[in-house]
Order: sequence, then structure tokens, then C-alpha cells
Amino acid sequence: MKQQISLNVNREEHTVEVDTRTILADLLREHLRLTGVHIGCATGNCGACTVVMGGRTVKSCCVLAADTDGEHILTIESVAGETNLHPVQQAFVENQGLQCGFCTPGMILSAIDLLEKNPDPTESEIRHAISGNLCRCTGYQFIVSSIKDAAERLREHDNA
Amino acid sequence: MISEEIEFAAPKDLQTALDLVGAHEDVTILSGGMSLLPMMNVGLATPEMVVSLNHVRDIDYVRETDAALHIGALTRHATVADDPMIRTHCPILAEAAGHIGDVQVRNRGTLGGSVAHADPSADYLPVLALVGAEVTLSRAGGERTVSIAEFLVDMLVTAREPDEVVTQVTVPKLPPGTVGGYERFARVEGSFPIINVASRLESDGGPGAVAISGGVGPRPIVLDVSPLISDGLGAEAMQRVGDAAFEATEGAISDTSADSGYRREMARVFSRRALEAAAARLRGEA
Repeated sequence: MKQQISLNVNREEHTVEVDTRTILADLLREHLRLTGVHIGCATGNCGACTVVMGGRTVKSCCVLAADTDGEHILTIESVAGETNLHPVQQAFVENQGLQCGFCTPGMILSAIDLLEKNPDPTESEIRHAISGNLCRCTGYQFIVSSIKDAAERLREHDNA
Repeated sequence: MISEEIEFAAPKDLQTALDLVGAHEDVTILSGGMSLLPMMNVGLATPEMVVSLNHVRDIDYVRETDAALHIGALTRHATVADDPMIRTHCPILAEAAGHIGDVQVRNRGTLGGSVAHADPSADYLPVLALVGAEVTLSRAGGERTVSIAEFLVDMLVTAREPDEVVTQVTVPKLPPGTVGGYERFARVEGSFPIINVASRLESDGGPGAVAISGGVGPRPIVLDVSPLISDGLGAEAMQRVGDAAFEATEGAISDTSADSGYRREMARVFSRRALEAAAARLRGEA
């Protein structure tokens, strides 16, 4: 069964015809070619498919595409400026907060979401905030230090 | 892509949703989808028709009357965890909501969906059983309200008829001075608990109660511990509470996360801890 939906993705309106079996992650990847949305498990565990929907982070493997009519969605592709990385991305690069990179888009979106709500998180708060994002490379330590560094960068940026 | 064809509807108001659910046989109701979508993705659930409640804004609310909080079924866990009214009048419900899954799951999963799914390990259930919550079930022709104890029939089985939708959960306000605790035991953050316990306490010396959930039976076991703590909340009283929890959970199941005996031992420990958490609040320590 096909249905037509309209949604706003990365600040652009799209009207697409989707099979009702399609999950949001596949709509973003296959139809809109936003391949920064990664699908690791398709069971809501790994968080690699994290996107921001209506201002809240969600796992796009656990949302039916047909259920997103009228929604506003942001993916990792919306995060960087034209010439510069987002401060959180830059902090991940400089602190080796990624190795293979598979979890990184979801990790970055969860980190940005945390820092918007809590600009000066403790290590424990950081670990809780990324508990829905699994990383099999880093052991998390460098991710946590990346997010701490990113928080400082953003605070300096705000104070500047 | 999910393998089986799905007929899908996302109504924008409750009446349309109820009409759709009533007019078709074998409708699967989708709320936050935090349990349903993973099961569909791996082929464990193959619904023919899915009706989504995600756009039914008229069941997304938190309201209060003198005696109770009325929470719309579409209220997301993150909202339950943060809502000032819930945090004031039933803080253990907010606390339990804050433990569900992870940030992304709490942003999407709903109170009504969790209750309707009736997984015995769900974080909400011991709290709802402890405070005597009620569940409102609506159908095209009307609605009925049942107690949480009547609603939870068996593991993943509820009193909901196929043409009904869970539309509201009513939570009595905790009386002023009553404090509560919520403790869960899980292997890793984000996983369903092996044991979860909610507690309430009116004063040092009782009355008090604990509700134990998570594989100890089809519904939470509520224990009135008032007679056990009438001489105060000392170590001996706490031990009696733990022993009572162990005795009460004789029917605990064995599964891949814990065997029955281990579950019962953890019921002992976490009942005590939940009551200790309430006692600390009574003393103004937390």
C-alpha cells in the first residue's frame, strides 16, 4: 500500500509517496539520499539512526515513514555550516571521539540535544544522555571527553 | 523495509481513530511504537492493519482535579518524567518514566502504549499498581474505566477489547506528606528491569506499601507492609519487608535474564531499597 506524505527534512519541504512498510530511516536514506542516517540494528537499540523529529531525538528505525506526515525532521546532514563543522563535530574530530564512524551521526545528534538542554553536563549526565547510542569502537571514553570539550567550546562561543 | 504489506491510517482526532479501530477486525494500534516497530522490523509482529495514534492530539495532555491526575494515553515518557504536575503529585511516576529505555525511547514512547502493551517489566506498572491507578478504555460508542489490577490480565494480555483504545490513565494524587521510592534492577541502563519496585510511606512507623514487578507474575504484587514497620524503619523492619517480598514472589518466572530464585532474592533486596529510598525522603535526605 502506498501513501503520499509531506514532511520537512533539514528545512526543506518534501512530498513523497511511500510504501506503508517503509521505516523513517529508509525513507531518509533511500528516497532522500540522506545516508548519514545509519541503520545498525533496526530494533531501537543502537541509536545510529537517531534523527531529531519535532525538536526531540528519536530512533528513525522505530518510526513508520507514513506516520511522519507534517513532521519536521533534522538529520546529521543539517548540522555543519557551509564551511565549518559544528563545534560538537569539531570536538569529536579533535578528541578522537570516533573510530569507524558508524555510530557518530547518532552520537553527535544526542550530544547536541544534551548540550542544548544542559550546557555544562557532568560526566554522569553525559553517559546517561548517550545511553541510547551504542559504540563498539571507542569504549566511550573519548566520546565522553569529546562532549565535555564540545560543551566548553559552545559555552565560550555563547560568551564571545 | 518491513516484509508484510500493511494497511495504515494516521487519524488526527480520537473519534476517527475509534471509528477506524471499531470498523476493522484485527487492527493493531500503534502508539510510540517502541515495542511494536522492533517486532515488525524483525518479523515477529505482522499486523495487517495499523492505526497510529501519533497524530491524535486530543489524547496528549496532563490535567489535574482535586484528587487525581488525568494523563492522556499519547503523553510521551519524557513528558511524564518532566511534567511539573506529575512531579508534584506523583513524583514516583515521573521517576519511573525517567528510567524507561533511553532519551530517544522516552521522546517517542507513550504512557498509554506502555500500559496497553502490558510487559510485566514495564517501569510504570509497579507505580500504577501501588497508587491504584485507573485505565480508561474508549470505543466508538462510549468508554469505561477499569482499575489497573483488572486491566492487567496476564503477561502482555489486558482487559482491552479489540475495538477499544486505551485513552487515559488516571493516577490518584499522593496525599501531602506521603513519600515514595522507585528502584529497578537491570543488567545495563536502558534494558527492561529484572525486578522493579515502587514504594510509599506515610510516616516513620507506617502505613506503607511496596509494589513489586518484573517477571514476578502477570501483574505487580502489592504488599501492605504497615504491620511489618509499625515499630519504625530500623534494620529489622527492613529485613522483615525483604522477607515478605521474597515470600510473596513465589511465582517468579525464570527466563534468560534471571532464574526464579535469583529474581526472588532481588525482590527481597530491591523492596528494601525502595522502602529505604522512601524513608530517606521522609527524613528529608533526598
